[in-house]
Amino acid sequence: MAMHGMRGLSVFISDIRNCQNKEQERLRVDKELGNVRTRFKNEKGLSPYEKKKYVWKMLYIYMLGYDVDFGHMEAVSLISAPKYPEKQVGYIVTSCLLNENHDFLRLAINTVRNDIIGRNETFQCLALTMVGNIGGREFAESLAPDVQKLLLSSSCRPLVRKKAALCLLRLYRKNPDVVNVDGWADRMSQLLDERDLGVLTSSMSLLVALVSNNHEAYWTCLPKCVKTLERLARNQDIPQEYTYYGIPSPWLQVKTMRALQYFPTIEDPNTRRTLFEVLQRILMGTDVVKNVNKNNASHAVLFEALALVMHLDAEKEMMSQCVALLGKFIAVREPNIRYLGLENMTRMLMVTDVQDIIKRHQAQIITSLKDPDISIRRRALDLLYGMCDVTNAKDIVEELLQYLSTADFAMREELSLKAAILAEKFAPDLSWYVDVILQLIDKAGDFISDDIWFRVVQFVTNNEDLQPYAAAKVKEYLDKPAVHETMVKVSAYILGEYSHLLGRRPGCSPKEIFSIIHEKLPTVSTTTIPILLSAYAKILMHGQPPDQELQNQIWAIFNKYESCIDAEIQQRAVEYFALSQKGAALMDILAEMPKFPERQSALIKRAEDAEVDAAEQSAIKLRAQQQTSNALVVTDQLPANGAPPPVPVGALTLVKVPSMTSDEDHSSTDLALSHENGILSKVDPQPPSADLLGDLLAPLAIEGPPGATVQSEHNSVSGLEGGPDAVDGSAIVAIEEQTNTVQPIGNIAERFHALCLKDSGVLYEDPYIQIGIKAEWRAHHGRLVLFLGNKNTAPLVSVQALILPPAHLKMELSLVPDTIPPRAQVQCPLEVVNLRPSRDVAVLDFSYKFATNMVDVKLRLPAVLNKFLQPISVSAEEFFPQWRSLSGPPLKLQEVVRGVRPMPLPEMANLLNSFRLMISPGLDPNPNNLVASTTFYSESTRAMLCLN
Amino acid sequence: MPVAASAIYFLNLRGDVLINRLYRDDVGGNMVDAFRMHIMQTKELGTCPVRQIGGCSFFYMRISNVYIVIVVSSNANVACAFKFVVEAVALFKSYFGGAFDEDAIRNNFVLIYELLDEIMDFGYPQNLSPEILKLYITQEGVRSPFSSKPSDKPVPNATLQVTGAVGWRREGLVYKKNEVFLDIVESVNLLMSSKGSVLRCDVTGKILMKCFLSGMPDLKLGLNDKIGLEKESQLKSRPTKSGKTIELDDVTFHQCVNLTRFNSEKTVSFVPPDGEFELMKYRITEGVNLPFRVLPTIKELGRTRMEVNVKVKSVFGAKMFALGVVIKIPVPKQTAKTSFQVTSGRAKYNAAIDCLVWKIRKFPGQTEPTLSAEVELISTMAEKKSWTRPPIQMEFQVPMFTASGLRVRFLKVWEKSGYNTVEWVRYITKAGSYEVRC
Repeated sequence: MAMHGMRGLSVFISDIRNCQNKEQERLRVDKELGNVRTRFKNEKGLSPYEKKKYVWKMLYIYMLGYDVDFGHMEAVSLISAPKYPEKQVGYIVTSCLLNENHDFLRLAINTVRNDIIGRNETFQCLALTMVGNIGGREFAESLAPDVQKLLLSSSCRPLVRKKAALCLLRLYRKNPDVVNVDGWADRMSQLLDERDLGVLTSSMSLLVALVSNNHEAYWTCLPKCVKTLERLARNQDIPQEYTYYGIPSPWLQVKTMRALQYFPTIEDPNTRRTLFEVLQRILMGTDVVKNVNKNNASHAVLFEALALVMHLDAEKEMMSQCVALLGKFIAVREPNIRYLGLENMTRMLMVTDVQDIIKRHQAQIITSLKDPDISIRRRALDLLYGMCDVTNAKDIVEELLQYLSTADFAMREELSLKAAILAEKFAPDLSWYVDVILQLIDKAGDFISDDIWFRVVQFVTNNEDLQPYAAAKVKEYLDKPAVHETMVKVSAYILGEYSHLLGRRPGCSPKEIFSIIHEKLPTVSTTTIPILLSAYAKILMHGQPPDQELQNQIWAIFNKYESCIDAEIQQRAVEYFALSQKGAALMDILAEMPKFPERQSALIKRAEDAEVDAAEQSAIKLRAQQQTSNALVVTDQLPANGAPPPVPVGALTLVKVPSMTSDEDHSSTDLALSHENGILSKVDPQPPSADLLGDLLAPLAIEGPPGATVQSEHNSVSGLEGGPDAVDGSAIVAIEEQTNTVQPIGNIAERFHALCLKDSGVLYEDPYIQIGIKAEWRAHHGRLVLFLGNKNTAPLVSVQALILPPAHLKMELSLVPDTIPPRAQVQCPLEVVNLRPSRDVAVLDFSYKFATNMVDVKLRLPAVLNKFLQPISVSAEEFFPQWRSLSGPPLKLQEVVRGVRPMPLPEMANLLNSFRLMISPGLDPNPNNLVASTTFYSESTRAMLCLN
Repeated sequence: MPVAASAIYFLNLRGDVLINRLYRDDVGGNMVDAFRMHIMQTKELGTCPVRQIGGCSFFYMRISNVYIVIVVSSNANVACAFKFVVEAVALFKSYFGGAFDEDAIRNNFVLIYELLDEIMDFGYPQNLSPEILKLYITQEGVRSPFSSKPSDKPVPNATLQVTGAVGWRREGLVYKKNEVFLDIVESVNLLMSSKGSVLRCDVTGKILMKCFLSGMPDLKLGLNDKIGLEKESQLKSRPTKSGKTIELDDVTFHQCVNLTRFNSEKTVSFVPPDGEFELMKYRITEGVNLPFRVLPTIKELGRTRMEVNVKVKSVFGAKMFALGVVIKIPVPKQTAKTSFQVTSGRAKYNAAIDCLVWKIRKFPGQTEPTLSAEVELISTMAEKKSWTRPPIQMEFQVPMFTASGLRVRFLKVWEKSGYNTVEWVRYITKAGSYEVRC
């Protein structure tokens, strides 16, 4: 090689190798660097031989891990040397020492280009290798066309074209915008006809990169890929040097299958059939053998084939074959193979229809849960979690519970969470669910997050028939000597609420229950004590007429905690004590907790979040479609029990405040009610028509200080009852029930509220699309324009917009195009006619597809009541007669909106203005009152005057 | 007394264990692998002598080409451990005849094991005095009990000596010629700014003695230090001589010095051990006579050239001279070419330590040789980092000179038999870390 005759270099290297320790080595290197510096600085210059030798030394020192920050100039200058040995060292050292951002590289570009377009093959190879290693933007700009030409040229030897393909791949990966690949589809398919496997392999790598960016342009390559695969699988015409342990070029096989996965589907039946034949052959022909290398290669091919099979959604028969194969894998002793088997089985789960087949291997998978290797245990857990459904949930959850007590601490949290989720998702009956969770808390209390026990409480609260059972069960647990704190929390809560249901059973008198709970008090932390105190108060309340002895006991406890350092405990103690002295009033205030509103389980949500990083992206999409159906299982069960309309619920205690109406003379009423801190109470408005205002104020209420009793009073008088259409109470359409994989940007509800006040703005936005809205209103007519803007470089397809108008609105949406081109905006006008007054809101059901991602959102359209108002000004003379002529409810209403943050008058006036109510200043003698008026238009009724 | 070691290892520079001894079983036998992995093979080596890995603490020290590593897992006394190592090395040196390196260890395995057993017990240091250990750990062959000729020499009784009134000296020593050698060795630490103002300066000195005296002599040493002189003048009620007095800080004595007498009479009186020992150590921070002044001017001319001028002035007496003077002038790492002009000695560029090294073998007092050098730098890729300008370092030895000005006023030897003694006194000043910023 080029090293021949460089004595100085070999002496230096042997010196370094003979060094006893690092320190000696460093001294030797520093000495040599000093020498090299002196030589480079020599005025007389260096002979090419010397230059070459010192640059090699520099490289060697650099490879040893020392900083070499000089001499780059010399290295780059060697590139232009005419002889091979010098050129070689120049290229090698440059690609090692410099990165794409070095200025010195500019000096080399021309030389490199000359080498590439030159006729000398070895120089071409050197240059291509170096460009492929560094691959900066400037190189891409000036060299990509030449490299492309080289790749296609027929006069080049395969060796050069192979390197050209890899070089181009690197340039394309780094700067896809610089490398011009327009019209490359034909050329790529031409390249795929190549007989030489080396060139074919590197071209396939290039194809994978190209297709991953834009698969549509390259569909012509698809049949070629299949053909290549066929050629390999049938082992035709494969040179000996391209077979690895008897497998024809596994690398090319894997790459080809990877490329095929970028195409959404294969339409041509012939190609499809051929491909499936090939896959079949791979699936059949793979087995576990002794030789590790052969195993690695054949398994790489196999798993890629499995991925492809899953991607293509093959027939059931083939799927079951895959599962059977994986079943064989998970039975093998070798841990790596077992791991792969489990992992791929988990991925298989994402494909529909194979669950039943996988279930056959359940026993084997459960055995894997006891593997000494923790990564295998984790995979097995994932798989069990994934394959669980209603039929086998009981077995699996019980297995997990059993395993929990012996499991690794590192896994327990995950394990308990998964068990809890499965129990919730697939519970055959609710008492089983309660049993499971209580067992879970008992066995692994430390690993139970709050979400899990909150969920039990929710279930128990919402299911009356479950309550006595749960109460009895927790009492059993509490009877045990050592109980985990989480268990104390659950038990105290449930016993506090429902222990009276056990009243007739032996050992369940309030006194006994109290003593069971109270026993645990000294052992718990400050976060649990408040729950215990609430439980005492509830027990006291249920025991009416109070047992004097119990009462005294409990009061003593409250007294004791009245001076507790913890504010929460102290406050509870004081308040419960005061409340419990009120006797019968206690009944009302401490009544049973209302039912919880149905909402998506926090656990399931958490699990979904966790899965995003666990599984692969493509798998999630498939999963998401399944998930919705699973999640419905839970929600379905409960409405049967008659879920009440949603009521905002405070944290733990809730006191119902009766709605109050004050006199017309605006004297602020002092409410004699004791307000609990932390309660957000909202007055239930009696007439439905007034609720709109409440709805609109709702976003403000969020910001209000809790329990603030400042009232903004409106004498809301409406002529709106003209349409006595008695709308359903719950007019709000559930919007966010869908678990879309695409997360909207910004809060949809907030955007809606903003648009109720404005006429133009953004209605919805997610990473792919933005929907803007612009509206004009005149009397009972409205004209809205929807702006659908595609934010992406790829088109959005199957766009659909459907209006679900409520009864009172007539809406006509012009045609929405099926596709939205990249970065384009489409306008869709929408005509609205108001027929009757109503609080209902129109809903836009909007869906589109991006890549394989189906997005479906339901959006409320801001065509609300106030849009059909038109402000008019009234004089005092007109106002008061009108005002007086309205006689009481339902024509004259007064409403107190509570829980709203205090608002200065000008702001209030602005708000009313944006509701299209005209403020008439000076009308009312009291400056703290606002008088506003407007007219309401609809088709069926004539214009109505609304005063406010 | 706290534990000092759970195990001790002697490693060579590659990290191979030469010899080891486990004293307690609270550390595993493979702990040294952790040391090798986490300290020797990383850049950590030499940064901090105490490191904690896992539950164990490693104290290590390099002596010539041997690493001595102490491993403890409990809360040990670090100072005690290091002192133990230092004393053990001194002990080994006295056994091996002065050298302590890898070869010496390899040649004395048996002896070292024997010594290691003796000097530490269950992690607690024991007697490390070479004089005493040599009584019963000998390098001579063991005489067979069946051998015909009984030994002439009575077997020395170590126990008696250790427990006797004078633990460090054997009775009944006889020398033909009674001699005492006294060396005062000082090393000067200095940090000076480029303007010539002293930023930090101190002298650490020690008095080494070598005694070849018969019987049980009582010695008394008089120095020109402040406390001793004041006491003397008090006693004799006559004014102090106008000579310079020295204030010694942090004085520590060998165990043979009678401290009660030092406290009451302020005299250093002692019964010396036989042979070589370190009588006392001290430190001086004020009134230091610096032997050399360095006046550097270093100019950077553009990015690739530097001009270095250094003048060194010797400020001790003209009759004295310094030996082995080495001046290391740091230059940037990218130095490519150097050219020198020196008025005495020799200079060259050493790339391994990035310094211009100027050596002067014999440096007379009251002279000022100069060096002027031109340095050419190579241009580099790295963004111009301003050069940090490390300080100039100096090494030297000046015989018959003390930087502190300490002098021996008298050394009296008193013995029952009243023999005559010959006393020899030497002074030497060395460079500690003698640095001048430039």
